[in-house]
Amino acid sequence: MAEEATVRTLACPACGGTVAIRAAGYTVTLACEYCGSLIDVAHPDARLITRYAEAQASLTIPLGTRGSLRGVEWEAIGWLERTDGWAAWEEYLLFNPYHGYRWLIAQDGQWSLGTMLTATPRYDGGEMIVDGRSYSSFYHDNRARVTRVVGEFYWRVKVGEEVRSRDYVRPGFMLSLEEDDREQSWTLSELLLAHEIRQAFDVPYPPRWWPGMTPLAHQPSPYVQRIRSWVPIGAITIVALLVLLTLFGRTMQPQTFGFPVTPDGASVSQSFGPITVPVGRQAMTVETLTSNVEQGWVDIDIAFVNRKTQESYEAYALNEHYSGYDSDGGWSEGSRSQTLKVASLPAGTYDLVVDAQAHHWGSSADSSSWNPIAGRYETVSQPPVDVSLTVARGARFLSNFWLALLLVLVPPLLMLVLHILFENARLAQKDGPDPDASDWIRGMANP
Amino acid sequence: MQTVACPQCGADVLFRSPALPVRVCGYCHALVVRRAQGAQAMGEAAVLPFDISPIQIGTMGHCFGLDFEIIGRVRWSWEDGAWNEWLMLMADGDHAWLGEAMGQFMALREVELKNPMAKVLRRLANGTTVVPGEKATISGHDYVVTDIRTVTCLACEGELPFTAPSGWEALSVDFRNKDGWCASFQKDRREASLYLGHYVTLADLSPRNLRTLPGWTMPAYG
Repeated sequence: MAEEATVRTLACPACGGTVAIRAAGYTVTLACEYCGSLIDVAHPDARLITRYAEAQASLTIPLGTRGSLRGVEWEAIGWLERTDGWAAWEEYLLFNPYHGYRWLIAQDGQWSLGTMLTATPRYDGGEMIVDGRSYSSFYHDNRARVTRVVGEFYWRVKVGEEVRSRDYVRPGFMLSLEEDDREQSWTLSELLLAHEIRQAFDVPYPPRWWPGMTPLAHQPSPYVQRIRSWVPIGAITIVALLVLLTLFGRTMQPQTFGFPVTPDGASVSQSFGPITVPVGRQAMTVETLTSNVEQGWVDIDIAFVNRKTQESYEAYALNEHYSGYDSDGGWSEGSRSQTLKVASLPAGTYDLVVDAQAHHWGSSADSSSWNPIAGRYETVSQPPVDVSLTVARGARFLSNFWLALLLVLVPPLLMLVLHILFENARLAQKDGPDPDASDWIRGMANP
Repeated sequence: MQTVACPQCGADVLFRSPALPVRVCGYCHALVVRRAQGAQAMGEAAVLPFDISPIQIGTMGHCFGLDFEIIGRVRWSWEDGAWNEWLMLMADGDHAWLGEAMGQFMALREVELKNPMAKVLRRLANGTTVVPGEKATISGHDYVVTDIRTVTCLACEGELPFTAPSGWEALSVDFRNKDGWCASFQKDRREASLYLGHYVTLADLSPRNLRTLPGWTMPAYG
């Protein structure tokens, strides 16, 4: 067969401009690209349908542009703008003679690829089923009206033309029914990834969603993927934290010192050393134990004093123990041991200086008695309290672990909040019963 | 195969299917009807308008489990558009139709309209209208009415099972189901007929000898 062009031209009856027909035989209506007039090409002599003074809108994808989507080359041959009274969107008609038609739907900078279905969806349990995937009802009874039109179409499209529509969604997909008195058609549209549509037709990147913006009915929450991808990272981080905690939280080289303190006597000051911090900064743990304190308390002040610089790092413990009998029987309270932690001691040689003072609790009659020889009250000598200190390098700061865990959990919690905000904004547009938790869970499904 | 001289212009007219009585003369567009003795001209078919369908007379493929070759076409129009019905000559000598509308293809075979007829079909046969979305049970399967139009024959080419004069008018109602099956009911002033089949893609047909469309890459069908 001789090479024949696939594009035919005709003169616009309104402006005389040369207008191309790209899908000859299918196309019925052609909107002149120069003057916007609608031309009827269903019959041999092209007739003018409507004359538009308004020149063609400047389109994101100029008609005649070709682009490859999913391995098929498509040519944009028609464009129309529609509204349902709330929102407005644009639809490009894509054509390839071997693959038929597709719709490229643009709304709020997001692009979807629509395919007309040849099988009617199945209705089951309030949902529509196509190829085993279910779609839940979103918009009930909308009316989509054509507001502007350019290019060619396989039906006689008119400005003002209206169809009844219903939409069903699953994340990333929308199933739409459009019907009038003569025809019923189902279209399945899939939200295109930003790089897909950009590569195909060089359109600007879709905008990022921020709280306050209204997502499309079938737009998948961008946070689902992020929450999912955080799971392995989070798990690794938590394991690493636990490893760090057990490896470096260990205490090493414990040294124990002890001395007695007389209750209600003078404060006892003792110095122990040397205690060496070999490198860097090191946490120290000091365990104070007063195993025999009874009806009293011991104030223990400790200080690590650097031998060279005389810098001092201090901590304080109060060990106490009381017991007795009352109508309920025996009781006891207080703790005979405390664990003190001194964080980040710089490298160096230290003395541990301990000041301890023991006190006995009770009336003077209990604690003192008249000494006839000395002619004065004397404190009954209480048994001395043994103070024992165990110093070790390293410390397990559990609070740090919880803080780290919280920090690790902040991003997914934040994303979860954003996901719920996104889903609320998306579902707020839904017709019918108010969205519930099951809708959010659906929103978590993989596109 | 049988060759007769066109009664109008004298050119050779080739009938490939012994079952098909009508052929459009490739030169003068006369509708040639084959009779027991020779052929008779039945008026003239309009010249087909230019279209860029990927199918052409001579396209071959596989459908309904059989090889086929396209040997004829009727182009129908309705108020707001037009479509092609391609005639497939099946390997077993029978014929079937490949409907091509809005870039979608329907493979259809005529079935006998016999009683008991589906309620919707009975109403249609009696001249009552139906509405899109209405359910119908045809041959034991559930369908939905998707499309109702009054159609007019625009033009035809090749061999045909009936004379298809330009301007021939009929009522056409399309049905679909959830498995991609389809049915088409057509009724003109004289008779009603029913076609059953399913939607196909070009790839499903493993087509050969498709029409080359300059500027477009023909997909490689296996």
